Amino acid sequence: MSPDIGDEAVEIWFGPQHVSAHGWAAKLTVVGDYIVECDPHAGYFHRSAEKVLEFRTFKQGGLVLERMCMLEAFLAEYPYISAVEQIAGMEIPERAKVLRTIMMEASRIHSLQFWWGQLSAELGLFAMTLWPWVDREFFLDTFEELTGSRHAASFSTPGGIRYDFTDKVRQKLLRAIGRLESNLPKFKDMLLRSPTFKMRTKDVGLFNAEDGIKWGLSGPNIKSCGIPMDLRKDWPDPNLAYDLADWEVPVYENPEHPGQSDAYDRMVQRFMEIETSVSIIKQLLDQIPDGPIVDPKARAKANRLPAGEAYGRVEGTRGITTVWLKTQDKAQTPWRAKIRGPCFASYYSLKHMVPGSTFADFVVVFGSLDPYPGWWDR
Amino acid sequence: MSKLGVIKDILQVLRHIVRQVFSRPFTYFYPFEDREYPERTRGRHIHIRENCTACGQCVRACPVVAIRIDKSDRKYEKDAALYFDYSRCIFCGLCVDACRFDALYHTPVVDLSEGSRDELKYDPERIETIEREPLEWRGRRFR
Repeated sequence: MSPDIGDEAVEIWFGPQHVSAHGWAAKLTVVGDYIVECDPHAGYFHRSAEKVLEFRTFKQGGLVLERMCMLEAFLAEYPYISAVEQIAGMEIPERAKVLRTIMMEASRIHSLQFWWGQLSAELGLFAMTLWPWVDREFFLDTFEELTGSRHAASFSTPGGIRYDFTDKVRQKLLRAIGRLESNLPKFKDMLLRSPTFKMRTKDVGLFNAEDGIKWGLSGPNIKSCGIPMDLRKDWPDPNLAYDLADWEVPVYENPEHPGQSDAYDRMVQRFMEIETSVSIIKQLLDQIPDGPIVDPKARAKANRLPAGEAYGRVEGTRGITTVWLKTQDKAQTPWRAKIRGPCFASYYSLKHMVPGSTFADFVVVFGSLDPYPGWWDR
Repeated sequence: MSKLGVIKDILQVLRHIVRQVFSRPFTYFYPFEDREYPERTRGRHIHIRENCTACGQCVRACPVVAIRIDKSDRKYEKDAALYFDYSRCIFCGLCVDACRFDALYHTPVVDLSEGSRDELKYDPERIETIEREPLEWRGRRFR
């Protein structure tokens, strides 16, 4: 607590036992019902993943990354795999590129549906929690049909992908998307028009675009200020097939306060992200080429890598996710792997965003940034 | 928001409730029936001793050291005994991918809970056989 805060202030720990705080805790200084200081703490979820990676071979490394964030497993494992592919000089078959992109976008939709339900639960709107989660089950069924696992898919492997598309997978994916498309406008209308929801989210957790960039925010959080920052367009990955689809970066700028973003804007922004992902998947499903799904020499190439360093990156659901990988010659394991998760920045930006709001709004501000503890405690 | 809009929303919710009351439940009556598992389900393993060549690739591929190999224990010409520790296994499927001799597969048996940790350590005899068939889908749900 700063010394210039008066005697009436009280310090309250939010978490780590709180229902909304699974694996994190913030120290709040409260005067009456208003928060004057917020001190987020990291470290409750630490699994020393970067050190663990140094003792895993290049084929096994993706499994560790995937467990950083199980909700976006297809996206989370990709930066590491991409870095390994760059160092080993593998050639990815066209079919693998397209299938990877499709599943990454499906994973993004699934993650956003989970987040949307969770934020609604924190606001007390439980109908909006359970309805999207029913739709989410259809995506999980698709992942299970494709890989044999609902969450920990371990879909990508250095040199391509592990599991090929079948007719049944395609059918299930189309069914999941069809259901989402028919329900999304209805749910969106019910949630965004709801007076309760508007009262709880409008002008809550407001920040400027300049501040957001200064704090290192990325992904939907910065896009909701009107800044079209998206790695899929800005720095396209040659091993992904985003260029085959015709799409625009979804950007929402609220005319009431241009250049600023509140919890409501972030909600709208993420609905736009879902719509964009659906359109990308639908376009790519018609363009899946025939051929192999993995580089035939990948098995030998991934065993021992030459000396080098590479930077794998992906636009995750929550923002820019990257892995920097350095190897020594004929190494079986990385010399060093540095992970950059998107949520560390959004978690610590609470320090600037929360003071001034009421205690009840704290959960809304936190939830609207879509943070995941696995990304800031590695 | 107009009064008409509120009534419209209430009707929408009521429509959903009525539909849910008369539709079949999403849950299963678990010990008596189970859901259909896809072909690629990564459940517990089965080891086919006839095909095994004791190359040890599955042991090398395992990221969590859940497999132990005993090369002196031979049933056929050049096979080996495998010990699986399911308190460690993460069901990633790398061992099945690593096997080039069709000797290791996943089965759709996924309910492995036991009373103690020691019972989760499968010895060679247990990993070579499935003690029961996976629960079958019976086509109807209990209410």
